[in-house]
Amino acid sequence: MNRYLLAIDRLNAKVGKAFAWCIVGLTAMVCYDVVVRYLLRAPTSWGLDVSLMFYGALFMMAGGYTLSRNGHVRGDVLYRFLSPRVQASLDLALYVLFFIPGIAALAWFGIGFASDSWAMLEQSQTTSNGLPVYPLKTVIPIAGGLLLVQGIAEIVRCAICIRTGEWPVRLQDVEELDVEEMKADLAQAQKANAGK
Amino acid sequence: MKAARFGLFFLVAAIVAIVLLLLIPDEITRGHLGLLMLGLIVVAILLGFPTAFTLMGLGMVFGFFAFHREGQPIFSNPVFDQMVLRTFGVMTNDVVISVPLFVFMGYLIERANIIDRLFRSLQLAMVRVPGSLAVATILTCTVFATATGIVGATVTLMGLLALPAMLRAGYDVKLSAGVITAGGCLGILIPPSVMLILYGATAQVSVVKLYAGALFPGLMLAGLYVLYAIARAMINPALAPKPPAEERDVPFGEVARMLATSVLPLAVLITAVLGSIVAGIATPTEAAAVGALGAILLALGYRRLTWGRLEESVILTARTTAMVAWLFVGSQLFSSSFALLGGQSLLEGWVRSLDMTPIQFLLLSQTIIFLLGWPLEWTEIIVIFVPIFLPLLHHFGIDPLFFGILVALNLQAAFLSPPVAMAGFYLKGVAPPHVTLGQIFAGMMPFMLIQLFAMLLLYLFPAIGMWLPKVLYS
Repeated sequence: MNRYLLAIDRLNAKVGKAFAWCIVGLTAMVCYDVVVRYLLRAPTSWGLDVSLMFYGALFMMAGGYTLSRNGHVRGDVLYRFLSPRVQASLDLALYVLFFIPGIAALAWFGIGFASDSWAMLEQSQTTSNGLPVYPLKTVIPIAGGLLLVQGIAEIVRCAICIRTGEWPVRLQDVEELDVEEMKADLAQAQKANAGK
Repeated sequence: MKAARFGLFFLVAAIVAIVLLLLIPDEITRGHLGLLMLGLIVVAILLGFPTAFTLMGLGMVFGFFAFHREGQPIFSNPVFDQMVLRTFGVMTNDVVISVPLFVFMGYLIERANIIDRLFRSLQLAMVRVPGSLAVATILTCTVFATATGIVGATVTLMGLLALPAMLRAGYDVKLSAGVITAGGCLGILIPPSVMLILYGATAQVSVVKLYAGALFPGLMLAGLYVLYAIARAMINPALAPKPPAEERDVPFGEVARMLATSVLPLAVLITAVLGSIVAGIATPTEAAAVGALGAILLALGYRRLTWGRLEESVILTARTTAMVAWLFVGSQLFSSSFALLGGQSLLEGWVRSLDMTPIQFLLLSQTIIFLLGWPLEWTEIIVIFVPIFLPLLHHFGIDPLFFGILVALNLQAAFLSPPVAMAGFYLKGVAPPHVTLGQIFAGMMPFMLIQLFAMLLLYLFPAIGMWLPKVLYS
């Protein structure tokens, strides 16, 4: 079972990390827009649309990955002191009650939303000859589906934890606060300064 | 463990009580459902489920009932389309789009490993000031936290760097812990902060005005911290011993050179980003993108930009952005269902019937936000409670801009209030074993009082915050 759960983690991690690079595209796009607007006095008409595509795809496609890394903020003042079994029971109930309805709606009704846009080859309203909107709308059902799959994996994790009393392992990667790395970095910087 | 169990039991009992209390009236109006939503939200969040989905779930469930018509098939309910529409609304939000750019800039600067240079040069520059190490710590925190906006990283790094230095120099443990935790939290207040963007997006207040408005209160708070540290050191020199004479005698040229290679580049970057926004030359999004580019160049200049570090920054940016933006999706659905049920107008009617003066209302709302800051994160407070207070501001004639600056200051204090102040735990995580959590919390208390004093000052002299936006934009 755990093999399948980790496979879902890996799938979402791959997608999330691939789309994470949208931030570089977003930075480049806005910077380019700034240059042509303020230096060359020739603003693009499509800069905002492209920026929104980068930003929308970035956070939507990283949603499942963030869930797999337990990265969505929780009000965990009490939660963190509960035993894994109680935590898992709470989570299980709330995944079914709170998570599934909204995310399933996103995945399922998002299809209609996106296909309507494809059917009329919808264009952005920001300019008279705007960029297509349907690629961005297509992101909704895909991101919803990925989140849904990750949510189901989390539900299974809860069930396992209720049975065994321990949280199953999940995929790990870069941490926001890596104290060991920070220590190494500071030591290196101090050594470099002492050498002068 | 036992206390947590009891707490959980209490929460569940509260949920049952709220539901019963509101369902007792003979006819359940839609407004009742709205109030039920409001009553449930705090307890539901404290169940520890990811808040974005708690909000989304409550929005879906209550929205379903709000939209439901007799005999309508379940899946024809408009709430499902609402979910998709609100999500698309966040995807095309031209205010929130600047969040990933500022976050990216922050992670790049954090990983450029310049805090050591920063601290070292400020320490030498401040060497003649009483309590020099504490003052240097506050200044380092201010610059670094402003540039990165990441509380956890600032407090952790300073805990590894400044705390051992202060303890070695014989500084008081509480004072040392206080300056690090209080200084580290400044990043969420001093622009360019992500909190103000989120407030602007939620309250429909211009982020540019918010930045202009929060600038002086933020700097004032940093200044008050410095004054406090100096005063403590002057009154009782044993708390902060002077450095030995040979360390005090650093040639001026040396200090200037160090400042020029550490503080100056970062200061130029922040000033350029912030200045172009406040002066109205660039939008926050444009300034943030240029700032991120500047941070890449900065990291390159310090020879700290490796492929691995860039990738780490990119991935962490994606996770933080997803966290903030999905929270915004959830809150959008929640507030639209709340408004649809008429909960807002019922609440407004109730508050009006209390016949409060604007001051009483301001005190009440800020107290509620302060108390909520205890169990909740600032992101949650901004997206859930600000929309609830906002329509009431008009009734009391309070400027949402002024309210926003007060909220930002207020959440600083909440960040430092024991026993759940995250800043204290970050510091404890890296402090030497003999430094206790109790000492850290005790060290934070005076700074919390300074924050309350700053709020009082801002309230008595609103011009501290409102002067700059007024001069620039009216």
